[in-house]
Amino acid sequence: MTIRRGLMILIVLGLWEAVRRFDLVSPLLLASPTEICGALVKSWFEYVVALRLTVTEILIALAFAWTIGIGAGMIAGLRPLLSETTGPLLSSLFAVPLIGWYPLFMVWFGIGITSKIVYAIVSGFFPIAINTMNGIGALDHQYLLFGKAIGCSRRQIVFRILLPMAMPSIVSGLRIGTGLVVIGVIVAEMLASLGGIGYLISYYRSIYATDHVYLGILLALGCAFAANCGLSLVERRFTSWRVMQIEER
Amino acid sequence: MSLGRPVVIEARGLGKIYGIDRAPIAALKDISFAVEEGSFVSLVGPSGCGKSTLLQILAGLVPSTTGEVLVDGVAVRQPAPEKISVMFQEATLLPWKRVSDNVEFPLEILGMKAGERRQRAAAMLSLVGLSEFTERYPHELSGGMRQRVSIARALAPDPRIMLMDEPFGALDEQTRIKMGHELLRIWEKTGKTIFFITHSLTEALFLADIVLVMSHRPGQIVGTIKTDLPRPRTYEIIGSAEFGATRNRIWKLISQDDREVNGKGMASL
Repeated sequence: MTIRRGLMILIVLGLWEAVRRFDLVSPLLLASPTEICGALVKSWFEYVVALRLTVTEILIALAFAWTIGIGAGMIAGLRPLLSETTGPLLSSLFAVPLIGWYPLFMVWFGIGITSKIVYAIVSGFFPIAINTMNGIGALDHQYLLFGKAIGCSRRQIVFRILLPMAMPSIVSGLRIGTGLVVIGVIVAEMLASLGGIGYLISYYRSIYATDHVYLGILLALGCAFAANCGLSLVERRFTSWRVMQIEER
Repeated sequence: MSLGRPVVIEARGLGKIYGIDRAPIAALKDISFAVEEGSFVSLVGPSGCGKSTLLQILAGLVPSTTGEVLVDGVAVRQPAPEKISVMFQEATLLPWKRVSDNVEFPLEILGMKAGERRQRAAAMLSLVGLSEFTERYPHELSGGMRQRVSIARALAPDPRIMLMDEPFGALDEQTRIKMGHELLRIWEKTGKTIFFITHSLTEALFLADIVLVMSHRPGQIVGTIKTDLPRPRTYEIIGSAEFGATRNRIWKLISQDDREVNGKGMASL
C-alpha cells in the first residue's frame, strides 16, 4: 500500500517535472518541482524567517481561538436561555464573510502580527463556539441530574461529565476552526503585512516569480497539514470511545 | 399504611409550582407519605403527572415549593450521595470509562481511596452478575446490562435509599421482566429501601410492598395500596386472581381520576 502510494507520488512528480522540461506550459503559470527546490535553496533563510513568523502567529491564534471558543460555547450551552438568544446570532455571524472586516482590523491593530492573530482568532472562533454550544446543549438532562445526585460540584459536573460527553462535537468544531485559523493567518499576511509565508506569496506573485509562489503555497499547505496532525492527536486522546462506538454500529 | 418498621423517608405536604411569574403550573399538590426501612415502594401514575419531579425533590435535586422531605428525621435540602442513590431511565454511564471505572466514579467523587474503590466496584459488579465485563466499555453492553452497571454504580457508595426513576422504561418487555427479578434479588440481598417510579401497573405491583397511586396534574397521591403478595415473587404471580384484582383497583384509581379531570376540563370550556 505504502509502496503503491509512493510510486503514485513519484509518477505525479515526474509528469509535473516533464510538463515544464518540455516547456508545454509557460513558466509564468507553473513551476516544476526542481525549480521550486531551487527557489528554496537560493533563499532558504528568507523562508525560515517567514515560516517562523507564520507558525508563531498560527500557534498564538490557535491557543486563543480554542480556549475562547470552547469557553464561550460552554457558557452559552450551559444556559438554555443564552444559547437560544446567542445561537442564531453566532450562526449568522459565522456566515458573514469575515475578510470584509480585515481592513478595519488593520486600522485597529496595525499591519504587524497583532492584526493577523486577531483576524485568525475571529475566523476560528465561531465554528468552535457553535459546535461546543450545540454539543453541550444536546446532552441528556439526566447526566446533569446524575452528576448532582452523586455530589459533584458545578466544576466537576462541567469538567468530568459534560465537557467530555460533548467532546466529539467540540473536536469537529476544532477541526473546522483550526483550518480557518491557518487560512486566516495566511490570507491576512497576503493582504497587508511585512512578513510571513502569505506575505512572500503575495510579494513574489507581484514580481512574477512563479517558483517562489509555488514554494509559498507548499509551505502554507504544510502548516495546515501540521495543524491537522496536531488535532488528530487531540482527537485520538479524547474521542477514541466515540470512534469505537461508531465502528460498532 | 404501615409495615411496622421505622420510617426512613417522610414527605410532608410537598407541592411544586413551576414558572411562578408567568402562568404558574402546579406540578405537585400536597403530597404526603412515609417510606419504611427496607421496604420496596412503587409510585405509579400517568405520564406527565410529576412523578419525576417528586423523585427529584426526594433526592434533593430540586427544591419543593411547599412542604419538606425528611430522611431519618433530617430535612433534605441537597443531594446526600452517601445516603441516597438515584437511578434514571437512561443508564447515564460515562461512555469513555470502562464498566469498573463507571462504578468507581461516584466513589471517586466522594473521595474514597483507589484501592477501596476498586474492591467495592468489583464486589458490586459481581452482585449484579457482571464480573466478566468489568473491562468493557458501555457501548459493548446491551441495554439491560447497562442498567445493571447503573444499579452496581448506585449501590457502590452503600446508600440506605435507592430512588429509581423508571429505570427499566427504555428496555424491551422481556428484559424488563428479567431486570425486575434481578432487582428484587439484589434488594432482598442488600436490604436497601427502594422507591421505584414506573408507569406500568404490573411492574409497580409485581415489585413493591406498597404502591402509591398518583393522579394527573397537579400530581396528588390518590391511593396507597399494600400489595400483600407472597415473596419471593415469581413470574406466575402476575397471572393470579389476587394480582389481577389489585391491579384493577389501581387502574380504577387512575382512570377515575382521569374522568374527573376530563369532566372539569369540559366544564371550564
